[in-house]
Amino acid sequence: MGFYHFLSLGIILFTIGAVGFLIRNNTIVLLMSVELMLNSVNLIFVAFSRYLYGTEGQIYVFIIMTIAAAEVAVGLAIVISIYRLFGSLDISKIKLLKG
Amino acid sequence: MIEQAVFWLLGATMIVGALGVILMPNTINSVMSLLLSMLALAGIYVLMGAHVVALFQVIIYIGAVLVLFIYVIMLLNLKEGGLKLPLETSTYFIGGCSLGLLVVVVWLFWQSLWGTSFRSETGGDLQASATLHQLAVDLFSQHILIFELTSVLLLVAAVGAIIISRK
Repeated sequence: MGFYHFLSLGIILFTIGAVGFLIRNNTIVLLMSVELMLNSVNLIFVAFSRYLYGTEGQIYVFIIMTIAAAEVAVGLAIVISIYRLFGSLDISKIKLLKG
Repeated sequence: MIEQAVFWLLGATMIVGALGVILMPNTINSVMSLLLSMLALAGIYVLMGAHVVALFQVIIYIGAVLVLFIYVIMLLNLKEGGLKLPLETSTYFIGGCSLGLLVVVVWLFWQSLWGTSFRSETGGDLQASATLHQLAVDLFSQHILIFELTSVLLLVAAVGAIIISRK
C-alpha cells in the first residue's frame, strides 16, 4: 500500500462523516459524524507523518484527540440540556433562533 | 501480500462501520458501528507503524468518548427513529454545495501531491516510523507549549461541561 491508499481512505471517511452531518436530524448522530471527520483527519495526519519521516503528524494527532475528547464532553453536556429544554433531540424541531 | 489483505479488510470494515453510523435507525447501533470503525482505524494505525497512536485511539476514543456517548444515550432513553425522508430542500442545496467544495479540495490535494515521491514501502511496513522515545522527546521539548495549552483546554472543557449540564 502506498501513501495514496491511506489518503483515499481518509477522504472517503471524511465524506461519509460530512454527508452524515448533513442528512441526519439526531443531535447525537451529528456529534458522531463530527467524530468520524476528526478521525479521518487523524488518519491523513498519520499517513503524512509516516511517509515524510516526521513525528509532528503523530503529535498533532494526540492534540486532535484531546480536543475531540473535550468537544465531546461539552457537546454531550449541551445535548443533555437541549433534551431537558425541548424533550427531543431532533435538530429540525429546535427553532428558537428562527424568530 | 498479507499486509495488503489486512489493509483492504480493515479499510472495508472501517467504511462499513462509518456508513452504519450515519444510516442506522437506532442511535445505540450507530455508536456500535462507530466502535467497529474506530477499532478498524486503530488496526490501520498499527499497519502504518504508528503503534502509539493506535494505543491512544483505543484508550481515548473507545475507552472514553464512546463510553460517554453510550452513557448519554442510556441516560436520555432515546426513542427516535433514523433518517427522515424526504429531506428538506435546503438540505439538498447545502449538501450539493458542500460536496462540490469537497470535490474541489480533493482535486487540489491530488494536483499538488501527484508526482511527489514518497518513500516506497517494500518491506518493513509494520516497523514503527517514530519510536515512543522520539515522540516523547519531541512532544516535551519542541511542542511543550501546545501540550500545556491543551491540558488547560481540557480542564476548562471539564468544568464547562459540568456547569452546562447542571440544572
